[in-house]
Amino acid sequence: MTSAALAHDELSAGAAPPPRGWRRLLAPGWLRVPWMTALFFGIGLGITLLVRFAESWKPIWDGQVITTIELTAVPFGFLAGLGGFDYWARYAIGSPTRPEDHSGHGAQSWRDYFRVNTDHKVIGIQYLVATFFFFIAAGLMAMIMRAELARPGMQFVGNQVFNELFSVHAALMIFLFIIPAFAGLGNFVIPLMIGAPDMAFPRLNALSFWLLPVAGLIMLGSFIVPGFGCGWTGYAPLCSTHQELGAVFFNMGVQWAGASSIMTALNFLVTIITMRAPGMTFWRMPLLVWANFTTSLLVVIATPFIAGSQFMSMFDHVMHTNFFNPDQHGYVLAYQHIFWFYSHPAVYIMMLPGFGIASEVISTFARKPIFGYRLMALSLMAILVLGFSVWAHHMFVSGMSPWLRVPMMVTSVIIAIPTGIKVFSWLATLWEGKLNFSTPMLFALGFVSMFVIGGLSGIYLAAVPIDVHVSDTYFVVAHIHYVLFGGSLFTIFAGIYYWFPKMTGRMYNERLGKLHFWLTFIGFNATFFPMHYLGIQGMPRRVADYAPRFANLNLFISIASFCLGASTLVFLYNIIVSWARGEPAPANPWRALTIEWQVSSPPPVFNFDEIPQVVGGPYEYGVPGARHAVFNGDRVAEREQVPR
Amino acid sequence: MRRGVLVRLVAVGLAAAAAAFAVAFFVPWLPRSASKQADRIHFVFWFVSVISIGIFALVAAVILYAVVRFRARPDDDSDGAPIHGHTGLEIAWTAVPAVLVAAIAVVSAVALAQNDHLPKNHLRVDVTAQQFAWKFTYPKYKGLSTSMLHLPLHEAIDLEMRSKDVIHSFWIPEFSQSQDVVPGITTRVVITPERLGTYPVVCTELCGEGHALMRTQAIVMTQRAFLGWVKGEEKAALAASQVPAGAGPGLAVFKSAGCSNCHTFKPAGSTGTTGPDLDNLTRYARRAGQPLKPFIRESILVPNAYIEKGYSPNIMPNTFKSLPKSQLAALIRFLVQGQKK
Repeated sequence: MTSAALAHDELSAGAAPPPRGWRRLLAPGWLRVPWMTALFFGIGLGITLLVRFAESWKPIWDGQVITTIELTAVPFGFLAGLGGFDYWARYAIGSPTRPEDHSGHGAQSWRDYFRVNTDHKVIGIQYLVATFFFFIAAGLMAMIMRAELARPGMQFVGNQVFNELFSVHAALMIFLFIIPAFAGLGNFVIPLMIGAPDMAFPRLNALSFWLLPVAGLIMLGSFIVPGFGCGWTGYAPLCSTHQELGAVFFNMGVQWAGASSIMTALNFLVTIITMRAPGMTFWRMPLLVWANFTTSLLVVIATPFIAGSQFMSMFDHVMHTNFFNPDQHGYVLAYQHIFWFYSHPAVYIMMLPGFGIASEVISTFARKPIFGYRLMALSLMAILVLGFSVWAHHMFVSGMSPWLRVPMMVTSVIIAIPTGIKVFSWLATLWEGKLNFSTPMLFALGFVSMFVIGGLSGIYLAAVPIDVHVSDTYFVVAHIHYVLFGGSLFTIFAGIYYWFPKMTGRMYNERLGKLHFWLTFIGFNATFFPMHYLGIQGMPRRVADYAPRFANLNLFISIASFCLGASTLVFLYNIIVSWARGEPAPANPWRALTIEWQVSSPPPVFNFDEIPQVVGGPYEYGVPGARHAVFNGDRVAEREQVPR
Repeated sequence: MRRGVLVRLVAVGLAAAAAAFAVAFFVPWLPRSASKQADRIHFVFWFVSVISIGIFALVAAVILYAVVRFRARPDDDSDGAPIHGHTGLEIAWTAVPAVLVAAIAVVSAVALAQNDHLPKNHLRVDVTAQQFAWKFTYPKYKGLSTSMLHLPLHEAIDLEMRSKDVIHSFWIPEFSQSQDVVPGITTRVVITPERLGTYPVVCTELCGEGHALMRTQAIVMTQRAFLGWVKGEEKAALAASQVPAGAGPGLAVFKSAGCSNCHTFKPAGSTGTTGPDLDNLTRYARRAGQPLKPFIRESILVPNAYIEKGYSPNIMPNTFKSLPKSQLAALIRFLVQGQKK
């Protein structure tokens, strides 16, 4: 028996005995889910009908209103059934709370991943598996779209279904994949990196994970009702007063996903501020921790804006308010201002954690300190602040006040400077290094080169006259995929390969990893680079049909995209087989210096049998005798040896 | 850094730059410019491209050089050089990009100001967008309206744009300018056509189910041809208003209800292509297995009842139910009479 399992048994020995018979229906878990969900459904329905009856609003039975209410009530029932609120509910009604016996910690079997688990390592893996489920769903939608786009005219799906496909594809990729996948990696790695036994709020952490499947299923559910086909941007009035019920599913899905990411961000912030190991000053934190610190600030400040925009849009739709209804003195462009005030910072929410991962990986596999560590951290902060001043560059052709365009262009090109600093620093980190091209490093270098292309096309888009030409064309589609696929997804892959041994205790197959990289890298460029050309030449985005002169290039792109889609199978095969049967991983396969590599793979249930003492910077490769952290057991290098 | 390293690095950089230049200049990236404003936009595009190629070449050179030169041997477990930073270098790669982006911003702002300028002598065209059609009205020519945009060469055009329902976006790739058309406000774009030809008009803002089909054409004509076209249109409108025996009110309904925006119909002189050609209604009715008149009535009231091959359901608005009975009758009569026997 491993030490982790032993610790677990000792701890759970004092816990209450498992309930028997009908009482099992009362214990938190999947038996309680169905009836509690039904109960909350009934409560929601009852209140709605009662209020409508009392106010004599006709008709009393209004499907649209009931659906909207149930999209709030049913998830609460599900979460309550699963046990997401048990501790707080007991506390609130004054009954004795279960003493924290930590029986929720650790995972003994696959079943432990399907309950409310408070261990950040389990939650991290729950996050990653769930987000990859949505990644595959959204990826399959992209495949259907590319099949439709292979020839001009209509072949497989109708216009409305096509609109729903790209809307839900984007909504899932953004809200259920990229943002939470980074949250999952951060969840697993950050407490280990800063030498903490867990996150600051483990119960909140568990709850924020279980909001995700709720949000994802709501987004997918939009296909069942008359669908959500107005794009993930959900522009009013198309998505408020001119849409079917599906739009409400999007509005509410965003609320649940947003609540999840706010909770996680708060958790990260408090954990990073208060739970660093002794000696871990801010200027000794690994850049991944810095990156998640700034990202969390972005999430906490910005996410309420998208929540507001979606509520207002939904109220216009369901409650006949007139925030964005031009016929009733509503202001259509207000929606876009509020929406982009979140959704531009969201671009950095989807990118900064990737910057952090790239820094960890490049430093480790180049065997070199990060070049200009402090400037790297400061440029993250600069992006955080500047990120709030550029939102209207999504609106250059929207009809907003013309004077606003030049200031927004200036801030938008200024934000290229800290981003450039990061790229140049990574390049300088490679210089004179001892580069080792394992899969994480390949993805990190792939990220840097693809992100440079995405960043440069971003400069084109920031320059107003060029944006006026390419706005809402395939050029924009190419740009966002270079940034979010070549940028975010490549770093997610880098991070998963990098920490896979730590998470699972097993090594992945290096050959398959490299095969996956090259298929992805080539397929990605073949798919998305030609889209720049299509856009400049005149093909608008979000169309199921296009002018015949674009036929050949679209066919090429479709074929390339199928290869790109197939490359994911290599990844899935590698991960699943390696997780089950891979070679056991040593504690520190990459000879990295950060703290998570100084404990066993996988780490003990409470991460550290003894608290680490941080004595130097995180990337002191090549500095003789330098240590990042020491444990009491080997207090030989007690004194700080690195002057930084 | 030794001189040999620098020479090799510059060589790789030049090779990368040459490759990028080849991609930039041998692929015809931009559509051929057809307006004064597009010329300026193309200039900004190439200005940014030159800077971008420079940065791309620099990054590519360093990555390629590092990947080849600093690759660790399989048995080499040692660390790289413990370089923590270089203040001069860090200042340089903050300052130089700052200068470059400042240059881009200035060039862009100047081009933008020039493109926004509307000369005193200009032709105003009112653009009305609705799901899923464009309508162009010429106030100077007694409200002459058409579903294809006709423009005179070399004259500054002021497009004043309004939307009846949701946000659309007006774009002609050869003119390089797109502009959203937003319900509740009026937006504007200035175009000075400089090249004769026929160009596609595309809606670039997702506007609903028929978004992909919301296309028409812009035709740039010489001044004389344009005036001739205006005269012809005015004459046709006059003639149409004098058609005897009931066609008059039918034609008026056809135009006022917006049928001409999407449908071609010779008796009304309309040329829309979003929906089926109404000159062939007899054929469609036969395919639907219905007599002509009830077929037309049903197709107006319940557009999805029969969908002609090659067209999609839900594109035609089903708001024509609200037409007054007399107008509907006149419209049907007009359509029936327009069919060739």
